[in-house]
Amino acid sequence: MGKTKQKENNQRTEITWKEIKRQKVLLFWAAIFVVYGFIFCYVPLAGWLMAFQNYKPQLGLLHSEFVGLAKFRQLFEDAAFLRVIRNTLAMGVINLAATFVMAIVFAILLNEVRSKWGKKSVQTISYLPHFLSWIIVTGILHDALSSSGIINELLLKSGILQQPLNFFAHPKYFWWIVAFANVWKETGWNAIIYLSAITSIDPCLYEAAAIDGAGRWAKIRHITMPGIKPTIMILLLMNVGNVLNAGFEVQYLLGNGLVKSVSETIDIYVLKWGISQNDYAIGTAAGIFKSAVSIALIVIANQLAKRAGEERLF
Amino acid sequence: MKRQKVTALFMTAVMAASLLAGCGDSNEQASGAGQSAAGEAGSAGADEGGKKEIKEFTAFFGVPGSEINDDNEIQQIIAEKIGAKCKETWLTGQSAEEADGTLIAGGEYPDFIGSSGRLLDAGALVALDEYLDNYPNIKNFYTDEEWDKIRQEDGHIYWIPQFGNIWEKDMTTTHNDEAFWIQTRVLKWAGYPEIKTMDQYFDLLERYVAENPTMENGTPNIAYTILCEDWRYFCLENAPQFLDGYPNDGSVLVNPETLTVADYNTTPTAKLYFGKLNEEFKKGIVDPESFTQTYDEYIAKLSTGRVLGMIDQWWDFAYSVNDSIKVQGLEDEGCNYVPLPLTISEDVKNQWRATSPDGTLNATGGVAVSVSCKDVEGALQFIDDLLSPEIRRLRAWGVEGVDYEVGEDGLFYRTDEMRMKVADTAYKASHLCSYSYFPQYGGLDADGINAASPGEQPKEFLDSLPVNVQECLQAYGCSTYIDMVGTNDEPGPWYPMYSYSNNMTTATPGGTAWIKMGEIKHEWLPKVVMAEDFEKGWDEYMDVYAACKPEDFLAEMQEELDRRIQLAEDSKAE
Repeated sequence: MGKTKQKENNQRTEITWKEIKRQKVLLFWAAIFVVYGFIFCYVPLAGWLMAFQNYKPQLGLLHSEFVGLAKFRQLFEDAAFLRVIRNTLAMGVINLAATFVMAIVFAILLNEVRSKWGKKSVQTISYLPHFLSWIIVTGILHDALSSSGIINELLLKSGILQQPLNFFAHPKYFWWIVAFANVWKETGWNAIIYLSAITSIDPCLYEAAAIDGAGRWAKIRHITMPGIKPTIMILLLMNVGNVLNAGFEVQYLLGNGLVKSVSETIDIYVLKWGISQNDYAIGTAAGIFKSAVSIALIVIANQLAKRAGEERLF
Repeated sequence: MKRQKVTALFMTAVMAASLLAGCGDSNEQASGAGQSAAGEAGSAGADEGGKKEIKEFTAFFGVPGSEINDDNEIQQIIAEKIGAKCKETWLTGQSAEEADGTLIAGGEYPDFIGSSGRLLDAGALVALDEYLDNYPNIKNFYTDEEWDKIRQEDGHIYWIPQFGNIWEKDMTTTHNDEAFWIQTRVLKWAGYPEIKTMDQYFDLLERYVAENPTMENGTPNIAYTILCEDWRYFCLENAPQFLDGYPNDGSVLVNPETLTVADYNTTPTAKLYFGKLNEEFKKGIVDPESFTQTYDEYIAKLSTGRVLGMIDQWWDFAYSVNDSIKVQGLEDEGCNYVPLPLTISEDVKNQWRATSPDGTLNATGGVAVSVSCKDVEGALQFIDDLLSPEIRRLRAWGVEGVDYEVGEDGLFYRTDEMRMKVADTAYKASHLCSYSYFPQYGGLDADGINAASPGEQPKEFLDSLPVNVQECLQAYGCSTYIDMVGTNDEPGPWYPMYSYSNNMTTATPGGTAWIKMGEIKHEWLPKVVMAEDFEKGWDEYMDVYAACKPEDFLAEMQEELDRRIQLAEDSKAE
């Protein structure tokens, strides 16, 4: 039933000169974005050629020797690359789950705050970390988690630990520290979009629910949650495509020799081999692999959403 | 209906946002472009409106350094005298390889650049040989034979090595290289004992902290810390070569009799050394933050005076640390460092310092002019002028009457007040300008009486030496830092081998092995030191280490060693 209704809504307007004229302003603005996208997103793709060459900067794209898929083969034979894929996926999924859930929970909680002043100030304070650059955030983290930092101080004083714990020396903590950093930095910011989605829910629904005797909890479950579900689905889909963008700065800045085996992401691998070792071809190949996986992920997620009859991207 | 509309609105907003974000990602590899744009402004910067035209150049050196202020006083004085100045920038945060890589990817360079093999490979450097005859100061900076050593395979000269050139007479007072360093207060407490081996060193540190857990102001002492960040992990990894009595070839041992290379990572001494660190780590002597601290945190830690000892190169810590120890008044407590030339056992002769009397020409790097420089002749004129006697003195000594006084005997000296001032970071940035990575002389000043720089002036060196270091040196019968470690001749014409391995890339199997070995050591050496069960940890490390195929690397190093020896014999025959 729902499906047929949606189809009616999506019925396309026929493209006629009249229609084009009517929408000329819209088309004009759209064209600007198409040009922008073409120049900055598609033209640089020519650089992908490097992945199939034994690329040397002084020879350039035109004169470097073509080697086919040799660089990709080299990539997948490298145990280090397989490890960075694992790290990237793991941190991507943990980050996604943590920041996603936290943002929704935070938005709903904030929405329940009655005092307007309290709500506004909490919201402002909570999204401020978003504007700090990672170098500052990692600096704070490094200090807070050092042996004489506040976290160790608290754990020692409260008797949980006997000896200060060096958090950055143990691979098992690293992914969680990164997830924590992401949550701390982005929760407030990500919650904004859900908050505005909640605002757009018809207040009549809440009034009606109140009359029917629904408490706060029931209102959240039966009105707020379904009201923001489309937003949640769309953002989830987009974020799934971003899973492999698990980060670069935070791992680069927090990592050290001891936790290298869990801290390096695909982006760091690209930097290390592509830029530092001058092997642009292998860096590009790793980048292409990452893009391909991202596209595949987003298509799969979209199909799943389609089957479940949920909102989707395309 | 309404729901659909709202969603559509969000979708547009989010799509737009992600479009921008997406572009950011795909441009990642070209992110260096912005950085290098700085190089452009330089050569065109001649100011036509002004009375005197001052050319402005830009320079980047792939080493950490402090930028000086744009209105720096001595820089301005030099600029007025020679009609040119140069804005120097240094590494910040990234490694030298990354910095070079981003410049190459961007294709825009500053006018002057610290050379490297990869910049040469990328065609970023201008061949200088045809210009040299027009610039006598540069030309005379090296002999023809030395210039020949600097020539690359294609016969051209691309860079001017800036260091190690000695005018008339070697005046070196400081051990500029690597050593086990120890604070003088520890030695003084123990009555200045002879410390010759690694075991004696750690034993002394243990006894000292047991009895003196804190500094005078209550800060807990840290007995031994290890800098391990990025390329600076040499402070952890290369000690086995020195402990076995070899000089700093950096990546391999060279047996001077059989003329063969060997790997210092797998020697019995290496195992003893890391085993010792493991033992001391468990005892709490080795700083538990060693392997997670950044370089900045390490320097900050040393600057508080609480670290008793470490391995490092003098240039990597001393300039900033000594100054802050002086400014904080910690010299009286004995927080300055002196070098100890330790070996694994007393019968091994140390070679921590190996050099030749005319200075070591390190032909593998120097200052180069990039292809982005629009005025190569002006740039070389700038270097030429920097080497003139008057400017040399300004760079090294500063302004007469302000930074130094001239005694009746013609000898330069500094007053205590001046010494305090030149140790101050803010003053250094606003007043002093040494152009420290441009060609320079050590040894004597052009007047033949004074040393080329205050640090090498014998009386000035002694007078400016903190009292605690003076006492310590005297107690050991030494007059300079150098005497503490002794000096050895360079072992042979191949020295130093690191100049080859530093430029290895993944283009050869040996280079790939070398880079992988570095990766593995970087991860495993800390693990081994922190291991519960050292034997087990060491065996695991040796297994993964062997999987990097170090033999490929050694084979290429042997080839290079043979080539260098052959080269030296050929030039002797001529």
